[in-house]
Amino acid sequence: MSLLQTVQQEVIERLGNLSITARQAVESVLAGQHRSVRRGLSVEFAGHREYQPGDDLRHLDWLVWARSDRYDVRQYEEETKLRATIILDTSGSMGYGSARQSKLEYARALAAALGFLMIRQSDAVGLVTCDTAIRQFLPPSSTMGQYLNILSVLESAAAGNETSLAAVLNDIAERITRRGLVILVTDAFDDPKAFLNAVQYLRYRKQEVWLFQVLDPQEQVFPFKGMIEFVGLENEPRLKLDGDRVRAHYRSVFEEHQRQIKSGCHAARVQLQTCWTDEELSSVLIRALTSP
Amino acid sequence: MLLRTEVRAPATASPDYGYYRRGGERRLAVIEFLNPVLFGGLFAVSAPIIIHLLHRRKIKQVDWGAMRFLLEMMAKRRRRLFLDELLLLLVRTLIIAAIAIAMLRPALNRRNVQAGASGLARQGRTAAVLLIDDSVSASAGRAQPAFESMKKLALAYLESLAPGDEVSVVQMSQLGATASDPIFDLEGVKSSVANLKPGYVATDIPALLDAGLSQLKRHINPGAELVLVTDGRKDGWRPDDKVRWDELRERLRGPNNAVPGTRQRPSVILLSPAGAGIDDNLAITSILMDRTLVSAGRPATARVVVANFGKQASRAATVQLSVNGQIVGTKQVSVPAGGELESAFPCTFPTPGSYGLEAALVNHQDLLPADDRRALSLQVESSVPVLLVDGQVSQGLETKLGFLEYALDPEREERGPFKVTRIPITQLRPSLLQENRVVVLGDARVLEPAMVDALERFVVGGGGVLVGLGPDTDRELVNRYWARNGEGFLPCPLANALTPPKPAIPTVISLVHPVFSGFGARNDEAWKAAKVRSYFKLDLKSVKSPDLDPLLKMDNDDVLVAERRRGLGLVTLVATSLNADWTELPVQAAFVPLMRGIVGRLGSFVTPPRNLQPGEQIIYARVKDPTRAMQGEDPAGKPLALAAGAWEGRDAIVSEPLLTPGIYTLHDPNEPGPIRCAVALAPAESALAPVTDREIAQAFDRQPGIFHSAEQVAANLDPARRQSAELWRWLLVGALGFIFLETLMTRREAAGSARGEPRLNPAINSRQ
Repeated sequence: MSLLQTVQQEVIERLGNLSITARQAVESVLAGQHRSVRRGLSVEFAGHREYQPGDDLRHLDWLVWARSDRYDVRQYEEETKLRATIILDTSGSMGYGSARQSKLEYARALAAALGFLMIRQSDAVGLVTCDTAIRQFLPPSSTMGQYLNILSVLESAAAGNETSLAAVLNDIAERITRRGLVILVTDAFDDPKAFLNAVQYLRYRKQEVWLFQVLDPQEQVFPFKGMIEFVGLENEPRLKLDGDRVRAHYRSVFEEHQRQIKSGCHAARVQLQTCWTDEELSSVLIRALTSP
Repeated sequence: MLLRTEVRAPATASPDYGYYRRGGERRLAVIEFLNPVLFGGLFAVSAPIIIHLLHRRKIKQVDWGAMRFLLEMMAKRRRRLFLDELLLLLVRTLIIAAIAIAMLRPALNRRNVQAGASGLARQGRTAAVLLIDDSVSASAGRAQPAFESMKKLALAYLESLAPGDEVSVVQMSQLGATASDPIFDLEGVKSSVANLKPGYVATDIPALLDAGLSQLKRHINPGAELVLVTDGRKDGWRPDDKVRWDELRERLRGPNNAVPGTRQRPSVILLSPAGAGIDDNLAITSILMDRTLVSAGRPATARVVVANFGKQASRAATVQLSVNGQIVGTKQVSVPAGGELESAFPCTFPTPGSYGLEAALVNHQDLLPADDRRALSLQVESSVPVLLVDGQVSQGLETKLGFLEYALDPEREERGPFKVTRIPITQLRPSLLQENRVVVLGDARVLEPAMVDALERFVVGGGGVLVGLGPDTDRELVNRYWARNGEGFLPCPLANALTPPKPAIPTVISLVHPVFSGFGARNDEAWKAAKVRSYFKLDLKSVKSPDLDPLLKMDNDDVLVAERRRGLGLVTLVATSLNADWTELPVQAAFVPLMRGIVGRLGSFVTPPRNLQPGEQIIYARVKDPTRAMQGEDPAGKPLALAAGAWEGRDAIVSEPLLTPGIYTLHDPNEPGPIRCAVALAPAESALAPVTDREIAQAFDRQPGIFHSAEQVAANLDPARRQSAELWRWLLVGALGFIFLETLMTRREAAGSARGEPRLNPAINSRQ
């Protein structure tokens, strides 16, 4: 089943007209149902600003250029659209999967569904795939072509390298200059302190952050019995352990990690959704989009 | 199996391995395993390790995403996990080790080394071998037999044992019987000891100790004690048998590193009643005939020897001799202290056959009644078949054995005691040996190897051989084939042939020897003219055998006649010729009684023997129709158990062991008269002089524990003074403790695992 089919099945058929609502005003260059706090290109003129690479040349104020030989862009105050960036973690640990699909497959479907929902309500959506660095970057856009690009990038995303989300998030925070929504789809198997610091930085940069933590049930249960040689997916050293004997210790470490992530997200007012790969995608979306 | 352990002692610890000092005493700590056959069980200790290793080898590989948690966990708990695993493995190994070692039954002994050396130390569970000297001398006594006091001592010793100790009882009268396993039922042993009665066998303390050492190998307890219960009679210790005592001391001493009081070096305890050894006893020590060969219808004299083993002259006693139950005479005797007296009883045996002679001291009260009677079985012959093998093929006196033939059967009418057949050596065949009781070789030069072999078997089976030498004798051949360095049928090898410048004159060494019974008082004169011109010097020194007996020597101290027992038979060697080639003896008067005495002795051996000692069995080789049933009676007239057997390849009847002295009678339907066998006590048993503690210490090469009363036994062998214990109970308790610990550890681990059991719905859990 392709990603598009998955999205159609999971999102269109089960969610219907459920929409994404930003909890705070976001800045957008496009008109939408979200109230903008920034100058835009709509009806009421708000002023000029200096031309930035990437600005549409149609918005250049040629009169200003003629008068002062400066490249200024006209700005208007108007209602803006949501500008969201989906960050998909493609580190090696995302490749693990004990159920019918791996965490990465689950995360790709989740990202596609979220992207589809936002494109459908004319919000701009961008996509970043990353592990130790940014691998793909699609700036936010609200066109259907953007959605197809997103699907294309998601289809080609593969798990591989080590996890270093904190550094990547800091990098992304620097790149996203406008207020918006950052949707993190990851297992968050990173140093919790550094990861939460990076999230805090995103929040500092006026981004609303949603964290979808994708986990495999076995990562919590640790059902292994007898001697097992654990082979890491991120080039970690191999470990030979008796599953029965280390289960309790593993569980305590895992739960401590989860507790830190949860409390860190709560402190940073980040919406945390824990997703299990054996869970229906629609359930996750409903839970996320209807949560207060 | 011993294991010495070093014991940490207080400040006075000795540097000696396994030794320590306490209260000035040198002590030894020893762990001994009572069940060493299960040592292989220790390999089970490796089972948990092997299982652990196998478990580690069965590794399943899993690709795992959440490695960071495992790594984090390992960083925090690696040491704890490793220690837990090691501890669990150790506990499981200890469980099995404790059980395996417990099955080996280790016993920890802490002993006083000096006491152990003297044989008094008790070492944990004791393996005791009671050696009961139930010889006939033990039945001697004034108020009660010494054997009753011996039993009290034995019972006192048994009282000193504790449950778990094991005991074997070895009786002097049962030596040679099938050994039985040790028993732990001390009450049963006490009961059987209380019911013991003395037998009639002779005392042989070295043999008893030897049997005790062998029996000790069947025991398993660590402490080993040989407990000799004896009446303390000196002769029974066989002090002159140095060879056996040397071997015995060596076995009692064990290896150099043997721990005193263990099976390798057992303690020796001597229980001998106080005042044991009675030196007041009158006994009939032997019945002798005045000739070696008794012929039917010819007068003979039976000599009964009465000995006084006391320190005072005996009162007058009456000696009575009966033949086949008929009294033939009585004599009054009064024997001086330490002396002996011979009483002669003329007898005539009208027909050939087996006779039973029995001498008794009648109307005589004695401390040892058993030796007041004595029996003798006598075979009376009409004539003894003698085969003369002449080294020269001719007839008449000039041949090698012409003089001998005339000496044995001068009238050649076969009415004398000897039925003589003379053949030249060329006609000698092995088959001829079976028809004769005595074979005489006269200066024979060569014998066929088969003939030499047949002669050896003839002698071993009970035949008699007389060998005369001479100028034709080849010394090399004789030494090589006949003597075989003392292993052949010849009594000894020959040295050089000698012709002294002055002819040698023979001299009788001991006139009491049966060979010289025909000489009487004229002995010295008889030999003066019997000059020996040449002879072979006999190499007696090369044969170290107590059976070799010189009978006649010459005035130059060289031996002229010697005899030696070989198996059941006898061989007599004359160093000179039996004709006049080398000596004047054949033409002198001494020649006839000498030769008749030698040949008569050689032909008087009845085989299988019929004069036996208590404990021996009658063996009767039947010649005719072995299928016809035989019957037997003991001295009391009760039926005697007989069974079919074999003797020297022939059918034979074998009786049960004969325990009571006296005349036993066999009835062979093929024979005209009964066959009488006699069982007589060993004469040495009548000597009741006690052995001293010093002599005992010399015999053992160390001082054994000697106790003369039950009080001494109780005081020295109190079971409460034991200083050792078996450890298996503690090991099993330890094993249970380890099992409990292992259970706790695994339960804790299981509880930890239970916390990580799979959730029914992870999503719901997560939301909660």
